Amino acid sequence: MKAKTKKVVYKSFLSIVAVFVAAFMLTQTVQAANIGPLPKIKINAKKAELGRKLFFDTKLSGDALLACSSCHDHKLGFTTRKPLSDGYVSMLHFRNAPTLINTAYKGGKTVLKNKRIPWHWDGRLGTNLNDMTRDALVTSETMNMDMRIMQERLRQFPSYVIEFNSAFGAKEPSNGLVRKAIPEFLKTLTSKNVPFDKGKLDSKAKAGLNLFKGKAGCIRCHNGPMFTDGKPHNTGVPENPEVFKDPVRHVTLISLLGFSQGLENIMNIRRDPGYMTVSHDAKDMGKFSTPTLRELKYTAPYMHNGMMDSLDKVIDFYNKGGGPDRPGLKDVAMVPLRLTNSEKAELKSFLLALSGDDIGAAVKYEKPDLDYQPLPNWVNNDYTIKNYKK
Amino acid sequence: MKSSEKLMFILLVFAALLIFSPVGTAHAEGNPDPTDFDMPIGALPPPPYPVDNATLKKNVWPSKMDAKQELGYLTFFDPKLSGDQGPSACSDCHNPLQGWGTNEAHSKGYPGTAHWRNSQTIVNNAYLQKLFWGGSSPSLEAQAPSAARAARAGNLERDQGEARLRLAPEYVKRFNDVYGDRWPILQNAWRAIASFERYMSQIDTPFDKYMKGNKKAMSKSAIRGMAIFKGKANCFECHNGPMFTDEKFYNLGVKRGEGLDGGEDPEDAMPLVQINLRWEIYGNKGNEEWIFRSFKDDAGMWFRDKQLSSRGKFRTAPLRFTRFTAPFMHHGQLDSLMEVIEFYNRGGDENEFTKPLTTPYGEKYAGTKSPIMKKLNLTDEEKKDLEQFLLALSADPMVLPTPKLPQLQRMADWMPKK
Repeated sequence: MKAKTKKVVYKSFLSIVAVFVAAFMLTQTVQAANIGPLPKIKINAKKAELGRKLFFDTKLSGDALLACSSCHDHKLGFTTRKPLSDGYVSMLHFRNAPTLINTAYKGGKTVLKNKRIPWHWDGRLGTNLNDMTRDALVTSETMNMDMRIMQERLRQFPSYVIEFNSAFGAKEPSNGLVRKAIPEFLKTLTSKNVPFDKGKLDSKAKAGLNLFKGKAGCIRCHNGPMFTDGKPHNTGVPENPEVFKDPVRHVTLISLLGFSQGLENIMNIRRDPGYMTVSHDAKDMGKFSTPTLRELKYTAPYMHNGMMDSLDKVIDFYNKGGGPDRPGLKDVAMVPLRLTNSEKAELKSFLLALSGDDIGAAVKYEKPDLDYQPLPNWVNNDYTIKNYKK
Repeated sequence: MKSSEKLMFILLVFAALLIFSPVGTAHAEGNPDPTDFDMPIGALPPPPYPVDNATLKKNVWPSKMDAKQELGYLTFFDPKLSGDQGPSACSDCHNPLQGWGTNEAHSKGYPGTAHWRNSQTIVNNAYLQKLFWGGSSPSLEAQAPSAARAARAGNLERDQGEARLRLAPEYVKRFNDVYGDRWPILQNAWRAIASFERYMSQIDTPFDKYMKGNKKAMSKSAIRGMAIFKGKANCFECHNGPMFTDEKFYNLGVKRGEGLDGGEDPEDAMPLVQINLRWEIYGNKGNEEWIFRSFKDDAGMWFRDKQLSSRGKFRTAPLRFTRFTAPFMHHGQLDSLMEVIEFYNRGGDENEFTKPLTTPYGEKYAGTKSPIMKKLNLTDEEKKDLEQFLLALSADPMVLPTPKLPQLQRMADWMPKK
């Protein structure tokens, strides 16, 4: 008798817990699925201004030929508008350069508190902008910079010593402060005047929104204010043949994924393994992080390898249920959508309503100063702000 | 013999060796340490090969290279082993037309940077135990990657270098032939380069021939110069052994390189060289800030052991092949052998590190200038003879052309599909 009561109590307790867990998960998914405007980010104008200057400065790459802006061109939506990015001098990258607009919302629950949105197409970095900046500066496929040389280069310019002092109160430029200034500038690159955020969707776009949430099911992965779940999925995007056709790009792939990231069997890989590089799990072959859908107007071509040069092609791709891949690899949610032509047009106009003003147009280019001068008074110079204060 | 007798016998043999050694007289003065045994100068034997990177034939210039040396020859000239595949192959700063170094005071460095030190020749490096001006590398195998990977020299990342080798089918074949690599391993590229450098040994100079018995191989002037070298000029004190270096460290008081302070005119200083010195001091971990801010010259061996008593000391430079390797000294401060002789004749100069130093903690360090540096009072005739002797330590300039380099190829074209 007693044992029976115990069992019943235990069972009811379990079911109550289950209900709570289910309710919690539901609120989580609802929260996560909440598409909506982006929160505002606080910006320190002085630091951001210094960050802007650094963003365009080629002294921040190994051979002083590339700046951040080389692959994230402010006039081209902070991308290259090429299917594949060029990467470091003589390297040629094997992936598409993603836009930097709204990149400040990515990271490990930094700005968007309940969401981790990693950087890189394979999602291998998901902490904060400071780390991301360092990653781009030092990686041999991107800027190949020894940051200790970078900081000494900056210290050679009195203008930088003065600006780092006024922005940070520091006695001299340093690589740590570069990784604070550039993120501050990136925080200024956020969507402005987006029709969707302002609730100004026309009827066509509104219909598109309903399709987005309903029949087309885009919201399953493209959710939250950034329109991404921050997770990797295999949708069967075709490989870009250029990657293995051009041995220079193939070198970059081997170098980054094989030697730098430690992917096994790299010499026999003939496709971009995506998230498998991070998880080292064969079932993650071909998975790529869900990209944001904001500012698509400025960032074609699309996908991790730039294989689709228009939104129409992207919509067609999803409409036929994505591309082919081995069973077990492709996301099961990728099924034909059976959208009519007018529905496709509606979906497209909704997607375009996620783009606002051309952010890059408002960003002023800063020509990098490469005219190095000898330091005055070498023997007594301690390289700090002291030498330049009147 | 009892064990004590045995010991006595060994000691006696040692004592006899010390007393009757032909060099015993050479360091009677200025060198109070009797255990400091100076190797006699002499002809070079064939280059030594380490057991873990041997070659079958041990070929030496100008005979034909073996497969490993040839692989080293290719990789030595190949910009694929530099960051941007630009003008930063080994051969760009160790140029065959400039004595396998450069004829500029400062080596040029990776694009966007400048080197702070003079590029040294690779010829006869096979015999050295300490490479680089500060003696930081113990072997050729260790030296090659240090240079290729430093941000101000080759700026190569291992991953990109190895990936490039793997997609050049000719390298895949050669690395397989020589090392049995399934895919080229970058470490083996450094070992091949070391083998190539061993090939670049010069053992048939007039001096070598003279020492082997050909008394006509050196001019009379050079023979007189040799006597001055060992005697009045006392060069032999440090420049001894077949490589003419004791591989120890001395501060001669060579003036700061003009790249750093511009010499007479501060405007002539080279900003990229200033950047490089700061990077070097900053990047050498474990330094205190006051050192970063106050050292304005190349502190040489100090970078290795961080002892303030080592500041400004450099490894004794070998004197072979110097006919082709001007300018001399670590920042290329002296333009010709005659300038070097004049420098020693006046007992060296003074620099930042020859002065005493007081640290912020009140510790006092004496200046580090070597007490061996004294006025020599050489006559003009003696200087000329000395120069002739130094010139007899080089034979021909050993020029090699740039080889035809292996190219990257699309994998599908040369990898058989399984």
